[in-house]
Amino acid sequence: MKPVQLFCWHFMAYPYLAKDFDEKESSGWVTVPNRLWDDNKSRGLYQEYTDQLVYADQLGFDGMVLNEHHQNIYGLMPSPNLIAAALTQKTSHGKIVILGNLLPLHLNPMRVAEEYAMLDQMSNGRLIAGFAPGGGPETFNYDVPSANTREKFWEAADLIVRSWTEDGPFAHEGRYFPLRYVNLWPKPLQKPFPPVWIPGSRSPSTMTEVAKRGYCYFLSSRSHGGETHRAQQEFAAVLEKHGDKYQPFRFGILMSTYVAETDRQAREECEEGVWYFLKNCLKGHLRREGRQLTYGPGVPYIPAAAWREYLKGYTPGRKLLGDVENWDELEASQSIIVGSPETVARRIQNLIEKAKVGNLLIQFQLGNMPDHLARKSMKLFSEQVAPALRHASLKQFSEEYADLKVEPVAAEGVHESRGH
Amino acid sequence: MSRAVIDVCGRQVDLLESGEGAPLLYLHGFADVHSVKEIWLPFHEKLAQRARFIAPAHPGCARSDENKDIDTIEDVVFHYLEVLDALKLTTFDLIGTCVGGWIAAELAVRHPEKIRKLVLIGAAGLFVPGALIGDVFMMAQPEFGSSYASLREMLFSRADDANALEMFPDGKGELEDEVRRYQMLRLSSRIGFKPPYFYNYALRNRLHRIASPTQIIWGENDKFVPRSHAETYAALIPNAQMKIVPGAGHSVHVEKPAETTKLILEFLND
Repeated sequence: MKPVQLFCWHFMAYPYLAKDFDEKESSGWVTVPNRLWDDNKSRGLYQEYTDQLVYADQLGFDGMVLNEHHQNIYGLMPSPNLIAAALTQKTSHGKIVILGNLLPLHLNPMRVAEEYAMLDQMSNGRLIAGFAPGGGPETFNYDVPSANTREKFWEAADLIVRSWTEDGPFAHEGRYFPLRYVNLWPKPLQKPFPPVWIPGSRSPSTMTEVAKRGYCYFLSSRSHGGETHRAQQEFAAVLEKHGDKYQPFRFGILMSTYVAETDRQAREECEEGVWYFLKNCLKGHLRREGRQLTYGPGVPYIPAAAWREYLKGYTPGRKLLGDVENWDELEASQSIIVGSPETVARRIQNLIEKAKVGNLLIQFQLGNMPDHLARKSMKLFSEQVAPALRHASLKQFSEEYADLKVEPVAAEGVHESRGH
Repeated sequence: MSRAVIDVCGRQVDLLESGEGAPLLYLHGFADVHSVKEIWLPFHEKLAQRARFIAPAHPGCARSDENKDIDTIEDVVFHYLEVLDALKLTTFDLIGTCVGGWIAAELAVRHPEKIRKLVLIGAAGLFVPGALIGDVFMMAQPEFGSSYASLREMLFSRADDANALEMFPDGKGELEDEVRRYQMLRLSSRIGFKPPYFYNYALRNRLHRIASPTQIIWGENDKFVPRSHAETYAALIPNAQMKIVPGAGHSVHVEKPAETTKLILEFLND
């Protein structure tokens, strides 16, 4: 058995927006004018962010997480694979998780198959391969029609894994990506193939497809009130329906935290970065101010019957994460946990207990949080929060999943993966 | 007004029909029957008094079955050829509004012989350099949690137009109206999201094939499909006349039903 796996997720936000950004611009996504990119201030930004991830690796996090977004100030990695490539050279211990390449945005899914195979080789078998469909903003950024996105996504995902495991050349007679010669050079290092993680927002269809394929399900929600353990239960039920069994390492969640010496100090230190994240980064995504691009009738990717059900439960103008107005509301959203090591450990421990989650993907650097504070938080976490979480979760998982055969954390060298 | 659901190649097509006389086929747009409302607007009723007025709902709209194999405008045209066969329509008058206008133009260039007279109202479909059709999908995303003012602004002459507010209210509207609006956006995204948006590059080079007398009706202040598109249609369709309706925006058939139907009926009965 292994304890909860703790990852450091970096979103690489653009941190140099002026204080009147919220007043002047209706979104941080798609239409946010790129004349706001400051040539002088931004020098060295990617280095700073990449070095924070390297630091996480040095601190003993189980891995580093990247993701893909385009044309926005929330995340400056239109190509996370480039950052991953840098990490293969600067780290040698933790997993490199890309969560995930946006498959419908690629003209040819084989590009993803090839780059992931290269990264797996370059990292000596540390890649965790995430595939994601992309959200509303990406639909606008890349002119990708929404209605068949799900089908396109799964055809691409299956083609990629097939290219990793089946002898080529073979012909892929696909509806969306027909290819006559699929013949991947290089092949990935991990066998049978790198672990595949897929994000979802609790749609039964995504859970089912993930379960059928033996992949890991990542809950793409930032808020962890009751929904998270309900999502885990739903996923567990879907797994059982497909003759499989839930175990904590099939499930992952995203959360954010800031740790300081005391609760009060934590709030003071992270306040500016947190509020920059909430008001600027989330504007156009998880905020109702300005124009919301993530979810709405303009990105009609679910069937009409599902939309009807959504409308029945929908409250127009209800508060999203970015709409919180004070620390109390933020705390109630249970998405950014701010406090002393004891406070943070207790809150996360509670979440692990209830949601039985084996992979925590934690965002430490928020908004325009300066480098030294992000590092201090990461260090305190690794020294004073992580050991408690590992200790408690190891005990919990050993008891609750006693007959689970899970390989202990791999040492250097080839990593045996079973697709999860 | 009678509603029927007919079978076309194994899929259901929702159909409203009213009136008697020569068949008049209507292909709807965004602010319209099937795409918002369940029943006729004054515009349709007026036309139904003078013809056998037939209005199918596009695939996936209202009670018409969705077809996930619709990738391009061509697939919609072939669907409508099947609808024509199912309705046993060999020659008829054709009116298309907005996206329906695009479909009508595409039908007409392929089968000019089927169409007696053609009316295009605020029709999408053309590539006109420097004059992109508006981004209805972006405008359909709510602002401030619940405002659709910018969508109304695009589809009508003003955001506070009474008809616009009735069809696209802020906050929560009539559930089934909202579902129909969503269905129309979903169908439209299949054919009109790429290239951006709502045009077929080849169409303008085919318009010379349209044989029927054609009337092109445009609201004076159309903020969705620019005026230059009306002018382009009028210039490239051989036997075409353009009529601008003052004081109206894109949804001229909703904003000025009397003026619009007068133009159409005079044209059809000429």
